[in-house]
Amino acid sequence: MINSVRNTVLSVLNKNNYGYLSPSDFNLFAKQAQLDIFDNYFYQYNYQIMKENARQSGTGYADIKKGYEEVIDLFSVTNDLTHIADNEFSAPSVITTGDDYYLIVKVLCYDASAPPRVFKGEAEKVHNSQITMLLNSMLTAPSETFPAYVLNGSTITVYPETFDAATEVSCNYIRYPNPPKWTYVTLTNGEPSFDQTATDFQDFELPLDDEVDLVMKILQYAGISIRESDVYSFANSEEAQGSQEEK
Amino acid sequence: MAYLSAYQYYENGGVAPEDANWGSYQYVSLKDIVNNFMLMYAGNHSLVNNEERYKVLFHAKRAIQELNYDAFKEIKALELSVCDTLRFVLPHDYVNWVRISLYKDGVLRPLTENIQINSATAYLQDNDCRILFDASGNILKPEFSDIDLDRITGQKKSIYLNKGSQFNGLEGYCCDGEWYFDYGIGARYGLNTETANANPTFRIDKQAGVINFSSEMAGEMCILEYVSDGMEGGNDTLITVNKLFEEFVYAYIRYAILNSKVGVQEYIVSRARKERSALLRNAKIRISNIHPGRLLMNLRGREKWIK
Repeated sequence: MINSVRNTVLSVLNKNNYGYLSPSDFNLFAKQAQLDIFDNYFYQYNYQIMKENARQSGTGYADIKKGYEEVIDLFSVTNDLTHIADNEFSAPSVITTGDDYYLIVKVLCYDASAPPRVFKGEAEKVHNSQITMLLNSMLTAPSETFPAYVLNGSTITVYPETFDAATEVSCNYIRYPNPPKWTYVTLTNGEPSFDQTATDFQDFELPLDDEVDLVMKILQYAGISIRESDVYSFANSEEAQGSQEEK
Repeated sequence: MAYLSAYQYYENGGVAPEDANWGSYQYVSLKDIVNNFMLMYAGNHSLVNNEERYKVLFHAKRAIQELNYDAFKEIKALELSVCDTLRFVLPHDYVNWVRISLYKDGVLRPLTENIQINSATAYLQDNDCRILFDASGNILKPEFSDIDLDRITGQKKSIYLNKGSQFNGLEGYCCDGEWYFDYGIGARYGLNTETANANPTFRIDKQAGVINFSSEMAGEMCILEYVSDGMEGGNDTLITVNKLFEEFVYAYIRYAILNSKVGVQEYIVSRARKERSALLRNAKIRISNIHPGRLLMNLRGREKWIK
């Protein structure tokens, strides 16, 4: 999809000789555009839920929420968390789990004292301001059946403190999409030619129906970059119209 | 939680203890209750939304506690021998007592709660009755108060007609040509039926966490029937609730959350409250086990001749 998006962007930009977008600039804008759209999925999802609660949405092919769920689920990952010390574990990151997380969906706790590990319970996210009171509560203190965790920076602290070994805590989270990269080979006349066999090639991870949005987003950034307000206005109005139609 | 196979139920899958699963089908675990509630009654399209699980857990446990106090009829029984101190330490999960009995000669004898106190704290005093303090300003106390010491040594007299009675062991006396003896012989007029009991008596010191018995109980076997709050010493995996009350627990949680949430219309709170009350009534009727066989047993006593 990335080559198609780039060709469309360049086509619009070149139409009136507005300007040219280098591959490196395109990759920067593409990453930004993808993140914008990715982030917007969550707001759209929430909007659809509110519409459902107001009985303003349909089922079957009219189930818009389902579509958003499916896209978000493309980025759902489950990994064991890296054990730091005692009951502290590293939050998902490029270094520890291979991906940065956008949203932690759930933290699962296991008893790994003997293989195979045994699932004990799903830990609940608790705010730092509540964990002390919770730990001192007779009825609601975290237990192995009902564990809890708090997030401090990039550290996840799991309670009760019996969860204190590697492979005892795993995490399901929504990762960030990988930065897209349009890779190329430079031909003798200097014109870059698309090369998707490059090892660092990365296509967009969003579904095909986001191609139009990606083009418009990138055009907006490109319009600002080349100081061409027409390009920005065109892309902006197109995007606004698209959003309106989706509601 | 998955259903158990017959082998797992009867033999615990060949693992000790064999009886681990016996009768377990009557109950649903706390874990299932909380999971089911979060799945079925909380969420985007439900009345309960955006509530932390620990709040659901709290209300679930509170519901189970309330049920244990009176509705469950799950009486625990503990047998311990009463030593010379005449004390029976309350069990760690004790909330309230149902019955206290003396088990002797193969017979269970329900004991009467003493209407008078039988234990007290004492302060040391000087000859002028001034209270004595230590260097830190704390009141000095003897190991036993006089009333405790008398009770433990068998000196304390009882208003009950047992061996500790003030009349027990007295010789008979003659009055107007008639001999009057201890309560064991002859008629006794003006009997206080409340204290007319030959068994030892007890009194529960809730603050001290002990049952204090009268001296006749020394060396005897005591059986305490009591109710707990069902929290199983804080072990969440052991907390269960009878399936007859499962729906009530969901209703209780729902009501408790809606009742404490801002912006919930009063008619919704009211609906939740009525549902909770109705389900509790239903569950109590169900667990009371009123069925034809039992009614028949009761009705059989109807035609009994009373002399």
